Amino acid sequence: MVYTEKSRWTLIIGVIMVAYAYLVQSNLLAPVIKFLNTSRYTGEMSTLAYAFGGIALAVGLWQLYGRHKEGQLDYYLSSVAGVMFIMLVAFVVKWGLDPLMAKWGHDAQPALGFNFASVLNLNYVVMGIIAGIVIVNVFNVPSWAQHGVRLSRLGLKTGVILLGSLYSFAELAQLGKLSIVLIGVFVLGSMWLVLVVGTRRNLPNSMTGVLSAGVGVCGVSAAVAAAPVVQAKSLEIAYTIGTILLFGVLCMFAFPIIGKSLGMGPIQFGAWAGTGILNSAQVAGAALAFQPTGIETLKVAEIFNITRVLFLPIIVVWLAVWYVRREEAAARHVEKVDIMSVIVGKFPVFVLGFILMFLLSSTGIFAPARHYQGAYFDNSDKVMVRTDRSGKEINNLLKDTDVELLTKDMEKVKRDDQRAALQRLIDGRKVMSEDDDDTLRGLQNAKVMSKEGGAVLARAHRAVRHTAPKVARFRDLIAWFFTFGLVGLGMQITVASIKQAGGQPLVIGSIIGVIKAVGSLVVVWLLVHESI
Amino acid sequence: MEEKFDRGSALTIFKNDRAEDIVALVIALIIALLVYLFV
Repeated sequence: MVYTEKSRWTLIIGVIMVAYAYLVQSNLLAPVIKFLNTSRYTGEMSTLAYAFGGIALAVGLWQLYGRHKEGQLDYYLSSVAGVMFIMLVAFVVKWGLDPLMAKWGHDAQPALGFNFASVLNLNYVVMGIIAGIVIVNVFNVPSWAQHGVRLSRLGLKTGVILLGSLYSFAELAQLGKLSIVLIGVFVLGSMWLVLVVGTRRNLPNSMTGVLSAGVGVCGVSAAVAAAPVVQAKSLEIAYTIGTILLFGVLCMFAFPIIGKSLGMGPIQFGAWAGTGILNSAQVAGAALAFQPTGIETLKVAEIFNITRVLFLPIIVVWLAVWYVRREEAAARHVEKVDIMSVIVGKFPVFVLGFILMFLLSSTGIFAPARHYQGAYFDNSDKVMVRTDRSGKEINNLLKDTDVELLTKDMEKVKRDDQRAALQRLIDGRKVMSEDDDDTLRGLQNAKVMSKEGGAVLARAHRAVRHTAPKVARFRDLIAWFFTFGLVGLGMQITVASIKQAGGQPLVIGSIIGVIKAVGSLVVVWLLVHESI
Repeated sequence: MEEKFDRGSALTIFKNDRAEDIVALVIALIIALLVYLFV
C-alpha cells in the first residue's frame, strides 16, 4: 500500500506558514501582535513558522512531484502532511485563541468580578481540544491528513517525558513526612475508588483507568500519561480532562467559602486545596481567593498540588497491572496474571523517561538543584551587582530613593512578620532570604502600600528570584508538544462517539471528586496544623 | 479508522506502544541534549 497522497495542501500550508513568519519578521503584523499582547512570542513565531513552513514546502513538493513506492520512506513521510495540518491549527490556538481568551477574560474582569478565561481554564489545553473537535465534526479531517493525526499521541508522550524536567527533589524536601503520606493516601485512595465504582457501573476498563488517573493525580498530564497503559480512546481522555476542569471550577468557588466559614488557617487551607482540587490553575485561584493578603496559602497549595505528579510512575504501574488483569481475565477466563510479566511487558517506557528527566533535573544540570519549577532564589553579591555583556554595571540593590519610599510606607504595614521582612529589606538593601521573599510577595499582593512602594517591592523580588533559561525553554516545548497532541486528540473525537459514551464518566468523576474533597477536608482538619 | 491503515493502529503509526514510547524517549532526550548545550 502506498500511503502518500498527491495533495497540494501540504505545499499550501507551507506557503501560509512561511508567509506568516515573514509578516511577523517584517513587523507587518505588529498591530495584531500588540492587540493580542503576544510580543514576547515574536521570536518563536518567526522561528517555528519558518522551520515548519520550510519542511511543509519540501515535503509538499515531494508529495506532488516525487515518485512514491511502497516502503518505510513513503509510510513515515506520508504522516508529515497531517503533522503540518495539526501544527497550523496549533499555531492558531497558541498565538491566536489562547491570548485572545486571556485578553477577553482580563477585559471582562471588572464587569464580571472574575476572570472567566482563567476560571474556565480557557488556555491552549482546552482550546486545542475544542479546535480539534470542531474541525473533525464540522469539516472532517481531510484524508491526506488522517495519517499524521495518528502521531498526536507521540507528541503527548514526548511532552510527558519533558515534564520531568520541571520538577526536582527540592520540592519533596519542602514537605514533611505527614504531607507526603497525606498526598499519597488521597492520590491512591481516590484512584482506587474510581476503579471500584467504574467497574461496578460497567464503564469500559479504558475509561475507568484514565479517569482514575485524572481524578487521583491531577489534570491533563496524568490523564495523558495513563492513557496508553489502558488503551484509552481520545474521547475518554477528553472526558477525563473535561471532568477535572468542570469540577475544578466548582471547587474554586466553593473551597474558599467553606474554608473561611470553618475558620481554617492558611496552611490548612493550602493543604486542603492542593489535595482536593484537581487542576493546578484552579488550585492557585482558590488559594489566592482564600488569602489575597499573603502568599502562604498559595505556596502550600502549590507544593501539595505539584507533588501529586511525582506519584505518576506508581499509578502507571498499578493501572498497567489492573488493566491487563481485567482484560486477560475477561478474554481467557483466568483469574491470575503474572504481575512481573505485566510490568516488564506493558510498563510504558515513556514514564521511565519522565523519571529520568526528573532525576537529571534534580542533579542541577538544567537549573540550580534547589530549583522549584525552574525558579530559584539567589541574592548573592555577584547576582546583585554585576556587569552586562557591554561592560555596563547593573546594580540591583535598593537605591536611596527606594529606601525612602519603603520607610514612608512602613506605617501602613500592620502584620508583624511583614514589617520585620520589610525592615530587613531596607537594612540590607536586598531581599535577605527566601522566606522574606515570600512574605514580601504577600505584602505586595495585599496592596496596602503606595503604588511606588509596591513597584519597589516588585523590583526587589525580581532581583533575587531567577528563572533558569533551560527550564523555561523546556516549559515552552512542553506546551507545544501538548498543544500538538491535544489538537490531534480533539480531531479523533466525533459527536457519534460522545453520544455512545454518554455522560456517566462525568458523573462518576464528579462523585469521586466530592468524596476526595470532603475526605481531604476531614483529614487536613484533624492532622494539619500550623506546620507541615 | 483502523481499516484505512495496514500498519500501526488508529491511535499510532508505530507497530506497537513500546515502539512509540521509545521514539518519544529518543526525541525527548535529543531535545534535552540540545537545550542543555545551546540554551
